[in-house]
Amino acid sequence: MTASPFAVDALRQASGAAPSSTGNGNISSSSSTQRPGPGSATLDLVEQMNEDEKKKYVKGKKLGEGTYANVYLGHARHDPSLLVAIKKIKVQKEYRDGMAPDAVRELTHLQELRHPNIISLLSAFSSKDQNLNLVLEFLPLGDLEMLIRDVDRVRYGAPDIKAWMGMLTRAVWFCHDNYVLHRDIKPNNLLIAADGEVKLADFGLARGFADPGQRMTANVITRWYRPPELLYGARHYSGAVDVWSVGTVFAELIIRTPYLPGDNDIEMVRLISRAIGTPTEDNWPGVTKLREYTIPIEVTPVADKATYMNRFGSVGPEGVDLLMRTLILDPRKRITAREMLEHKWWRTDPRPSRKEDLPRKSGGEEKVAADLKRRPGVVDEEGKAKVARKLDFGGALGGGK
Amino acid sequence: MSRKPIANARGPASGSTTSAALPGLSSDDMCPVCKTIRYLNKDMEFLIHPDCYHFMCSNCVNRIFNDGPNQCPYAGCHRTLRRKGFRTPFFGDLTVEREVDIRRRVAAVFNQHEEDFRTLRDYNNYLGMVEDLTFELVSGTDAQRSSAEAQLQQWEAEHKADIERNRKAGREADEASRRRIAAERDAARQRRIDAIKEAEEEKLERARTREAELDTLASAPEGQRPGGGVQLKRRVQVNRAVEAAAAATTNAAGVPGGGVAGAQPPMITKLSIQGLKEKRKPPAPEGPYDPFGGMDFVPSRYKLHDGLVHPDVDKYRFDLAHATGGYSFDDYRARAMFEAFAGLGVFIEDEKEVGSGLSASEVAAMSAGIAAVGDKMELD
Ligand SMILES: Nc1ncnc2c1ncn2[C@@H]1O[C@H](COP(=O)(O)OP(=O)(O)OP(=O)(O)O)[C@@H](O)[C@H]1O
Ligand SMILES: [Mg+2]
Ligand SMILES: [Zn+2]
Ligand SMILES: [Zn+2]
Repeated sequence: MTASPFAVDALRQASGAAPSSTGNGNISSSSSTQRPGPGSATLDLVEQMNEDEKKKYVKGKKLGEGTYANVYLGHARHDPSLLVAIKKIKVQKEYRDGMAPDAVRELTHLQELRHPNIISLLSAFSSKDQNLNLVLEFLPLGDLEMLIRDVDRVRYGAPDIKAWMGMLTRAVWFCHDNYVLHRDIKPNNLLIAADGEVKLADFGLARGFADPGQRMTANVITRWYRPPELLYGARHYSGAVDVWSVGTVFAELIIRTPYLPGDNDIEMVRLISRAIGTPTEDNWPGVTKLREYTIPIEVTPVADKATYMNRFGSVGPEGVDLLMRTLILDPRKRITAREMLEHKWWRTDPRPSRKEDLPRKSGGEEKVAADLKRRPGVVDEEGKAKVARKLDFGGALGGGK
Repeated sequence: MSRKPIANARGPASGSTTSAALPGLSSDDMCPVCKTIRYLNKDMEFLIHPDCYHFMCSNCVNRIFNDGPNQCPYAGCHRTLRRKGFRTPFFGDLTVEREVDIRRRVAAVFNQHEEDFRTLRDYNNYLGMVEDLTFELVSGTDAQRSSAEAQLQQWEAEHKADIERNRKAGREADEASRRRIAAERDAARQRRIDAIKEAEEEKLERARTREAELDTLASAPEGQRPGGGVQLKRRVQVNRAVEAAAAATTNAAGVPGGGVAGAQPPMITKLSIQGLKEKRKPPAPEGPYDPFGGMDFVPSRYKLHDGLVHPDVDKYRFDLAHATGGYSFDDYRARAMFEAFAGLGVFIEDEKEVGSGLSASEVAAMSAGIAAVGDKMELD
């Protein structure tokens, strides 16, 4: 076995021609390369490699904080212009003597999935306190949530939505094609690369497809993006759960506000029932037998196309058709990620924007300064009366004392 | 203490005319009072006073104002400033800093909501009025400024109760949103914990079935034990799935050459395996949009013609919990085939078995494998 500097290769690949855009998916045809096993003969060598990996990166300022990790900006020691994100998993008391399992989850799955629309893992090492550090490609342009929310400054239209949806759907399709469920798809886990490419990140809840009989937890996916089968406590589910999330993100991209923003699971079911239709034995055989099923107070029929057109018509009838298929109540009837990509919407006009032309987030300080230059009383493009601009300096600026 | 007034102070802030040009902080990193250059003293910090927005370094502030109120050292600025009024500016552009301060002050007084007005027009008129007033405070002449200031104070006096009520509502909304965010964070944490439990239960379950499998093997008559020692249950299970699928696939074409790693059991020669993942060339830049991004593996890897018939699997096929939750047996079958044929000796689940106790060395080992993407190791 040779201890070739794999990670360096990975880094080089990632910084130059993105490996995955020209690559062949995650399954290489040569399976000859053997990873060093944790056998005792290789242990010292392996420790040494860990040290080597660690030394290759310099950690910088904090970029963000998540539930179980802090994320820092970093760069390669040999080339400071090579930026990376270092995700340092927080120590969890319960797992003192080992790596946190969700970190391992993220590591194993990211390692398997190489795709232009999935964040790439460049390396991993553990620091002295047994903390796992994931070295990820640095994605400097924020996330989709920032773009969706910045209604005043970020304008986008149907071609942009189609481009973003294409990237998201490809990412999900690729996960599923490799038998991985993501289980946390939402706008703020969709990060944006310097060239505008959207990348699915945060694999902390991902898992492989389960065998028959194997129970999975129903408590996954952030509530607003959680499908009805999980709200009803299903323990045997499929990629359809991610597809529902994709559908709710699609809707949110169009209306620029969360589509089903329930405060709790009960309200979620109510919102779904009202907006999409009440799950019944008719439209979803067996649903009433699910563990957490609750008898609805009122039954709303499944929304028809006209209803969707009213709210989501800006993506055209084909787009609305695709949206409706991602939001089918019965997961067995819901469209799959692959079928989504085969849908005719992608090939109907308008053509998706080129990623270089996609709208980008605006900066913090510049944003406020630019806001000041604007005057109230604007009427927006659609010509409908809009509330005059009201500038909020209350919380946004960290309250200057 | 010599306090020579500074000659170069560009346009006083609330001096005689307007706020027009306040010096920017970033332009030259020099303290206009003591002429120290930031470059020579990295810790140097600039402070401003919101009465006149004149900036100076913290050393100067301490030196001049430590012993009590004193006059601003800028030429022509006659403000009396106090030490505790100084702060670090948020913006490099002090004109912006000042405008933001003014707006914050105005917003605290004019804090009516849309719901407080009968029509959208009324609300917009109100916002327009507030904006005019703000504009005068920000860039009006002296006279305009003081009249605007008077208006502001009058409004504050007349609407005290309203303002206080809205302020309180704002605080409560803040409080509610803080609580909501905290609850959301807790929920996210709980999801992580549940996912961990899920993995642990699976590990236990696998250990149990493995033991059972070993027992069966041990009690089997000598001649029926498989060669090569112990087989893991999953492997056994997958092989069964393959057998079943192979049995179900009688009308399929032969195996194309290559692509399948390892020795092939004779029975699979009838399967039509499309081979390993292949990519198509990405389309030319201006070609038609390809939703698969040039990466579709066409057609799907295997042609499987019928369902699995193995009882271990089929018993779940009619299980309501599987059906209703959307569990996909097609996915399972495809995965079983894929894992059996694609030269993978290791299953995702087996890899995850390293689970909670991964050592530094194992991480290094994994990281070393990251570049060798997709090259799954053979564990046998
Ligand atoms: N590759 C990256 N490049 C730039 N910023 C990043 C990157 N990865 C993460 N971040 C930032 O760090 C934050 C937290 O990262 P991440 O979502 O991966 O952590 P988490 O603990 O899994 O969070 P969550 O609370 O969403 O589950 C992100 O919201 C983002 O702002
Ligand atoms: Mg996240
Ligand atoms: Zn000074
Ligand atoms: Zn002054």
